[in-house]
Amino acid sequence: MKRRRFFILAGLSTGLLILPPALYISAPPLRKFAVRLIYKELNYLKLEPNGVEKYVDDFFNSSINNMLVNLKWKTFYYLRVSPTQSTQVYDLIKYYLLSTDFFIYKTDETRMINYLGLYNPYKSPIPNPYSFQIYPPKKESK
Amino acid sequence: MKYDYYDLIVVGTGFASTFFLKKYLEKNKATKRILVLDRGQFFPHAERLKVKQGEPSDFSHMEEPWEDAIINENKAKRWPFTLGFGGCSNCWWGCTPRFMPSDFKMNTLFGVEKDWPLDYDALDAYYYEAEELMSISGPEDTPFPRKGKYPLPPHTFTAVDKILNQTYGNKYISQPSARASRPTKGRNACFAKSTCDVCPVDAKFTVENSQMRIYENEQIELVFGAQVFSLETAGNQIKKVLYVKDGKDFEITGEVIVLGANPIFNSNILLNAGDTNRFTGKGFGEQLGMQVLIYLNNMKNTGGSTWVNANGYMLYDGEHRKDYAACLIETNNAPYYIRLERGKWLNMASFRMLFEDLPLDENFIKPSANKLIPRVSFTKRSDYTMKGIENMKKKLPGILSCLPVEQLKYLDPFPNEGHIIGGTRMGRSASDSVVDKNMIHHQYRNLFILGAGSFTTFSASNPTLTLSALSLYSADHSF
Repeated sequence: MKRRRFFILAGLSTGLLILPPALYISAPPLRKFAVRLIYKELNYLKLEPNGVEKYVDDFFNSSINNMLVNLKWKTFYYLRVSPTQSTQVYDLIKYYLLSTDFFIYKTDETRMINYLGLYNPYKSPIPNPYSFQIYPPKKESK
Repeated sequence: MKYDYYDLIVVGTGFASTFFLKKYLEKNKATKRILVLDRGQFFPHAERLKVKQGEPSDFSHMEEPWEDAIINENKAKRWPFTLGFGGCSNCWWGCTPRFMPSDFKMNTLFGVEKDWPLDYDALDAYYYEAEELMSISGPEDTPFPRKGKYPLPPHTFTAVDKILNQTYGNKYISQPSARASRPTKGRNACFAKSTCDVCPVDAKFTVENSQMRIYENEQIELVFGAQVFSLETAGNQIKKVLYVKDGKDFEITGEVIVLGANPIFNSNILLNAGDTNRFTGKGFGEQLGMQVLIYLNNMKNTGGSTWVNANGYMLYDGEHRKDYAACLIETNNAPYYIRLERGKWLNMASFRMLFEDLPLDENFIKPSANKLIPRVSFTKRSDYTMKGIENMKKKLPGILSCLPVEQLKYLDPFPNEGHIIGGTRMGRSASDSVVDKNMIHHQYRNLFILGAGSFTTFSASNPTLTLSALSLYSADHSF
């Protein structure tokens, strides 16, 4: 029962962080800064554009989504806050990558990165980017 | 109830009760009247999975939040557990290392606390039996004495695991696990989904998927929604079990009584019954866990299995235990610890460091004004544990010198470890403990108190396999 930070993360990924409706005030114009942050941090990857926007919508709709939080993203962008400086920025980028086929195709930078749906370990085809499902053991030669 | 008198009354349907009943039914050939009382309901795995997947389930109302079941005085400390059929087998992560032989001899070897009244060798046969019943996956070479293969092969190593195993031999092993590495006995092979509390492919052992068929035995009458809160005593015997069902109080008479609820509720039942043993409810707690993130230079940590992949014993045993706690390294192949620097996404390993703690009198269970809801008072960690953390921070860089480590990042201790221990400790007499080595109460000789509550000391290892083996031992030596 472990027990774990996992529960919190799973809550985020599965949309189980239920908040009062009043807090679900969306601010679409501000979400563009979250989109820009993703492009900025992952500028060396080919990101499928519609997928990035859909991800940001899903991310904000399923997690803590109030006006103050949205305002922060504008600040993050203009102050050039990096994932190492902010847990929120780190989580935004991390969950984007986990929500795509990037890891399933072994972090191949040459491919277009496609959004598969907001990361949910119960729904993702291969949710663990480290696992033997992606990197199977090499067969020993006889 | 079918009867007004039972030969055996068992409280709870988790690991402790289920393994006890397994052995009891084997030993008793005569027909017995057996009553099992569970405070919760049967919430099937398939329905739990629906809830996790965000789908509607007619069973979702059956989940009783642990926060509502106790009064937790220290909000910074959490005690998650699962109530209902199968107990914590529905939410455990399937980690099943044995204890080390030294864990049973803490006083003799290190001058710390008390020795257990039984040792590793006494439990050895029951460890094998429990491992067989759970179809454990594990390696042939282990740091604790064990002969032969586990029922299933070990899970695969990550790149980091391979190097550490080559460096430290059987002090770094694929974790013995109740997560099946191959399809077995109605369970699928682990898919490395890393959501082991409710396994998406039902690879993890639970009471529900165990195929032990205990609760289908015609001698057993299983009653759900019956919460035991106290016992009626007569001299040095327990005569009746008191419980609430559908909001009404009931009592039932039994010859032998078995408390197999979790340690918090076992203690509450005893204290409500007026147990005057000075150790009852005391020395409650659990191990301390904290995460270390290991940033690797030019090395992907790929190829492993699910979340908990390996165990390291490099900080476990030794003379240091005279002064500070053993530490079990639990290698986490967790999806959430990735890096974002270009080309380094998977250049990361993460260790969960598990430290033993001591059964302190300052941490205890006591009844509240509501007989059904115990009060949990947890105020401190031992200095022994805290020194263990400091030692780990000094030693870990050297231990990892065989790896291309860029940096180590120590995270704050977790608020819970999911290993609830203590409250009814085991010992040689009532002067040092609540139960004897068969987990029979020193005073009430027809009362068994099972589970991790009976541990004399905490160990740094995960408790479930040991408490299951203890249940087999107890029933085998008592009937």
